Order: sequence, then C-alpha cells, then structure tokens
Amino acid sequence: MNGIHDLGGMHGFGPINPEPNEPVFHAEWEKRAFGFFVTTAAATGFSVDEFRHAIENLPPAEYLETSYYEHWLHSFETLLARRGVVTKAELDARVAQLSQGGK
Amino acid sequence: MATTKPAPAESETAIRVRALESILVEKGLIDPKAIDALVDTFEHKVGPRNGAKVVAKAWVDPAYKQRLLTDATAAIKELGYSGMQGEDMLVVENTDTVHNVIVCTLCSCYPWPTLGLPPVWYKSAPYRARAVNDPRGVLKEFGTILPDDVEVRVWDTTAELRYLVLPQRPAGTEKLDEDALAALVTRDSMIGVTVL
Amino acid sequence: MLLTPDLVPAVVASGHSARVDAKIAPRFAPGAKVRVRNLHPTGHTRLPGYLCGKTGTVAIAHGVFVFPDTNAHGLGEKPQHCYSIHFTAQEVWGPTASAKDTLRVDLFDDYLDPA
Repeated sequence: MNGIHDLGGMHGFGPINPEPNEPVFHAEWEKRAFGFFVTTAAATGFSVDEFRHAIENLPPAEYLETSYYEHWLHSFETLLARRGVVTKAELDARVAQLSQGGK
Repeated sequence: MATTKPAPAESETAIRVRALESILVEKGLIDPKAIDALVDTFEHKVGPRNGAKVVAKAWVDPAYKQRLLTDATAAIKELGYSGMQGEDMLVVENTDTVHNVIVCTLCSCYPWPTLGLPPVWYKSAPYRARAVNDPRGVLKEFGTILPDDVEVRVWDTTAELRYLVLPQRPAGTEKLDEDALAALVTRDSMIGVTVL
Repeated sequence: MLLTPDLVPAVVASGHSARVDAKIAPRFAPGAKVRVRNLHPTGHTRLPGYLCGKTGTVAIAHGVFVFPDTNAHGLGEKPQHCYSIHFTAQEVWGPTASAKDTLRVDLFDDYLDPA
C-alpha cells in the first residue's frame, strides 16, 4: 500500500538527532510490548508480514506522532481483535478499570 | 522487575499495555515470565558487542573473513550469534572505494543477534526517509565525511535478509589482539553511519 | 502454543527463517538488467514506492523466500526468488544525485520485469 510507512526519499523530517548512550528500552511498558511480539505470535500464529501490515494501516498522522512500540501495540490490538482473541470492547473495559486504580 | 525509584504517573499507553497483558495472561495465552526472559535476553545478553566480535575476528582471521563474506549466516553462527531477526544474514565490507550504509525504509529491520535491538534514530522517520536519497547528508550528521570518489552504497533492507557492515580496520591497530580490536568496534560503524 | 520461559532461549536462538526450500527457477541471474514494475497494491507490499519504474541490475540472487504480499493476507506463501538489485543514485533520484553513489534493494520476482 502507498502508506505513510513508505518513507524512503521523503523530505522535511529534519535531522536524525541520535540519543547519546541510549538505553535498550525507555520505559517499563516498552519491555512488555516488546515481549508481546514473540509470545502473542506463538499463541495465535500471526506472521511478521501480517504484523507489519497492521502497522502500515495506522492513520498517517498517528503513525508519525507515535513511537515504535506504540506501533507494535496497535498491531497487537488489531491482530488479536481480528482473531477474536481480545476484542476492543474487552480491552477498553480493562483499560477503564485499571485507569480507575483497579488491579 | 525490581524498581529503585517511585514510578512516575502511568501513561495511557502504559496502562493499555498492562491491560492487554493482564487479559492475555488470564486467558492462558501468554506467560509473563516468558516476556521477562525475552526482555532480559535483549536488554542484557544480546547487543552490538556480538557484532563487534564478528568484525574483530574477520580482521584477524582471513579465512574467517572469507567465510563471512560468502556465507555470513553460517560464519556468524560459528560464534553463536544467529537466530531471531538474523536468520539470513549478509555482511558487506567497507573498502577504500565503497562505503556501505544500512537502512530499512519500510519499517525498522535490523540484525538483532549481532547488533541487539535498534536505536530510536534508526527507526525514526528522518533516518528512514533520508538515508536512501541523502546518505552523505545523513553521514555528515554522524560526523562522517567521505571523499567524493568513494561510492556510498545504501542497502534498503526490504526483505528478510539482515545486514551487517564490516568496517575497515583502523590504521595503527596491527599490534592489538582480537579482544582489543573488538572493543574498538561501535554499533554505528556496523550500521555504516560512522567509520572507525 | 504457550511460550514458556524455558523455551525462550531456543526460540531466540533459532528464529524463523523466511527462506523456502523449493526448486523454483529464478527469473533473473546476477548481471541481468531489470525494471521495477509500477505497482501500487492496496495491501501489504515490500516494494518501496520510490523504486517504481526504475531500472537496475541484479547484484545478488538471495534464493527463494516467502512472498510477503500474499503471506500478510493469508493468501499463501507464494515462494519466489528475492534479489539484491543495484541502482545508481541518479537513476532513482535524478540528475542532482551523486554520480558515484548507489542503492541496493532486496526485491522479489513479482516486482520485476526484464529491462
């Protein structure tokens, strides 16, 4: 697809700005999101190709404004919902519960 | 999972990740200890020191270098650094006439067993957009200025091959042993954005 | 399957190669001139847009791999050859690009025509 992910040759993004002494992960949640890849692929059998395509389907503005592991999270949610493993309603309900201090 | 300082307010994304994990665990689909093991592996055991050892061995052992350039997957496996996101490897050699740079414009493909997980800049829009059509401008931002008569060869790793750059051995390192040489090899030199 | 911690080292060490052991004739050999097809599929593809219509040379024949464009959509692996294609920077980016610099991009048989 002619998506926003197809970045090669685009102008206007500015300098690279590498982070000195960058840690492998920048937050605890990134570690969990990283670990979802292998574990959920093992559980549900999705391919890396389907995983990438779900990222490519992020709305373009959102793609550019969110981080790498947020892209991954979007893909996990998409693929798990597609298979009926974790529905959006189910996840939203749990998010609401945890946001209110629930365990 | 020990933390030494109080956690800052949890972001919406962090809550969403925690919510998803709790559901997956309840359903018996994932084991959180497997996530701990994966994180530990890529945070502490796998990283660019692996790639540096491959490079140093190639510098001191011409037969190994030959194997590395003809069948990188097998040669890297000899040192034990094969596996996930390094299943099919190519090593490309920098010379006096060719300088190689690796990018993945479509996502962020990167050789995990030899370099670990990619830095944020490698996954970022500026690098992915510019590496293919402004490689010398990108290299300059990393402090790398190459003569005009050197060919800058950019590898856009669009398929399932993963690439490692074999940097040129720095001058004046003839007396160093393999371990000392490996200590000189940086992650960025194996992506090809710097020279040593 | 449930991935348990004891399985993690083996899973990480083995990975999952997309290479396919299939006797399929390659359409091109190293040195062949190829033109990238002008393709704009709405589904998944690993053909970057900047290469559509560009002419290059087969530099390396990688062998047979799963084709992501079908595999992403559950349409089968459609195994086929993948090649590193060599392009000059000027072919891809025009006359203002360096006359010296080049690109190598891994492309599948289905993206290519003879040039």
